[in-house]
Amino acid sequence: MNPNTMDRLKYLKSRPIDGQAFKKLVEAGLAWLKANQETVNSLNVFPVPDGDTGTNMVLTMQSAYKEIQDSGQKEIGLITQAISQGALMGARGNSGVILSQIWRGFSRALHDIEVLDGMNMVKALEEARDTAYKGVVRPVEGTILTVIKDVAAAAKAALEDTQDPFEILERIVPAAAASVEFTPELLPVLKQAGVVDSGGKGLFYILEGMLRYVNNESLDSALTSILPISGMNFENTLDAIEPGQDYEIVVDFIPDSVLDLKKFYSGLEEMGTSIQVGEGDGMYRMHIHVPTENKYLPIDYVLNIGTVTKVAMENLVAQMEDVASTRRSEKIEVTPIEPGQIAVVAVSPGKGISRVFASLGVAALVEGGQTMNPSTQELLNAFENLPTDQVIILPNNKNIILAAEAAKEVTVKKLFIVPSKTIPQGLSAMMHLDFDGEIEKIAEKMTNALDDIISGEVTVATRTVEIDGVSVEKDQVISLLNGKLVCSAESIEEAVMVMLAKASAEDYELVTLFYGQDLSIQDANRIADVVRKEYPSLEVELQDGGQPHYQFIISVE
Amino acid sequence: MGKEKTILGSIHISPKAVAAIAYQAILQSYGVVGLAPKNLAEGLAHTITKEPSRGVTVHINDDEIDIDIHIIVEYGTRITSVANSVANAVRFQVEKSLGLPVHDINVHIQGLRVSNGE
Repeated sequence: MNPNTMDRLKYLKSRPIDGQAFKKLVEAGLAWLKANQETVNSLNVFPVPDGDTGTNMVLTMQSAYKEIQDSGQKEIGLITQAISQGALMGARGNSGVILSQIWRGFSRALHDIEVLDGMNMVKALEEARDTAYKGVVRPVEGTILTVIKDVAAAAKAALEDTQDPFEILERIVPAAAASVEFTPELLPVLKQAGVVDSGGKGLFYILEGMLRYVNNESLDSALTSILPISGMNFENTLDAIEPGQDYEIVVDFIPDSVLDLKKFYSGLEEMGTSIQVGEGDGMYRMHIHVPTENKYLPIDYVLNIGTVTKVAMENLVAQMEDVASTRRSEKIEVTPIEPGQIAVVAVSPGKGISRVFASLGVAALVEGGQTMNPSTQELLNAFENLPTDQVIILPNNKNIILAAEAAKEVTVKKLFIVPSKTIPQGLSAMMHLDFDGEIEKIAEKMTNALDDIISGEVTVATRTVEIDGVSVEKDQVISLLNGKLVCSAESIEEAVMVMLAKASAEDYELVTLFYGQDLSIQDANRIADVVRKEYPSLEVELQDGGQPHYQFIISVE
Repeated sequence: MGKEKTILGSIHISPKAVAAIAYQAILQSYGVVGLAPKNLAEGLAHTITKEPSRGVTVHINDDEIDIDIHIIVEYGTRITSVANSVANAVRFQVEKSLGLPVHDINVHIQGLRVSNGE
């Protein structure tokens, strides 16, 4: 059966709503909330008018969805439990916390349940309501709390007519809409501002998204909605760029007569995607992504219905690259430092290794390593703005220790250098970090830990040479043990094995292999298996280090 | 005491008044299920006085207002988010009501409340 050729609803109804089916619904809820994120943001006046409700709810839902994205779990109880966990961990802002509580109650009621049916769905919604109400001393009505209450009541009422979860969903979405519309009557601050409650509206969009998925309706863009101009945000639309949509056009205009929004939208839909229309003080702003050959069409189109006051055109392909590159560098989340705590700055050659350092509590990362030593200035930049004057540097390479020493001369902060010469040494030192300890003692402890670990590196020789009694031809694979050349070999595998043998790896417990960017995961896996076979008593971990030049960085401990 | 000069004279705002405003904002703040006395002695004192400023301490130096709040949070909520929301709500309400900037708000999580059998 193919859901595309058949009525989606019939297809869905023919199957049980297990964890995987529910995942689809959650995905749809998130997509639709995201499409309407700016609308939700623009409604935010309570409790604090900071315009971030939509963003917070999207981030919370994204964190929830991430927990189940790759899960093949069939049991709905376990899927909702994972959602609840993800929502809790990613809860942002007031509405995000309430949303996470709603999921928490929902999942608790489905504990041990395999398939969603009418009865347990209603129970779960009621438990969601109860849990949400428990989280506050004085519940304020006219908020998301009221909406979940009305949704639970509508679900219960629907149960008299149907046991089908999809039919119940069909009933609770209009109930949620009505509840949202009524919020200004319950909460005067909403009425004063002339808006409905933002969190309640967000919850409505999640439910509506689920229903739209069931009815096979589009989830990408919120058509016929109109934003206040201040609420328009084009940054997010960059996420949704489709191939061929090369130009972003923004036109400000004053229509000659009252704008027929539906007609206006459908005209724009023929030209491109990511359409947004905003309004403020009688002026309209239109945003669209179009292919190159269409780039003047939207302007001509708007000229026909009113007076154009401003046109902006941007090449998206170029913009996308900017966004992508900042995303890449932002991806790693370092530990935020409280004022006065000890901040550790680590030099790292690759994304994977950076991630490991970040997870161990590093406050700032500087890209660098063999053949790309960061400058003293780069090191200074990494910590000068941290809200503390206690800093420890892990150079993680002997050539970078000097730059660190130079940074110490320049800075007014209390800077200690833990002279790690390799990545494994740096990681070993991190195990002894205590943010609130005395920096002298911590630095000493970290320095002492450097020798707790054996460091191995595998790379390709760039010249023919003889060092430490080992002769190497250019382009041979070589391995280093604690910085000393121990082997030249014909294959990476051989280099790894010889290095481990020289390190008497059998006397240790754990080997971590960080594979570099030049090595495929398949090759890395294969070699890890060879190591496991050779050393059955060792625990062998394989990590994506992402470093250049070195096929492997290896720690033995 | 917080002071504001007007052409008619000056307006004094007592820490207690500020605490009362903060108290209202805290009770409505999601995730907060109670306020807590910051120590035993104060706890005992408050069982007698039933002050609304229990769990809220306000310091006013010259024009700077610092507020310390001691709260109990619902178990199972993300504590950092709850604390941020409380601080934002208190700052917003106090600044809106008084027209004076709040300098620091320190949120102390005094405990967690575990509801229904987890």
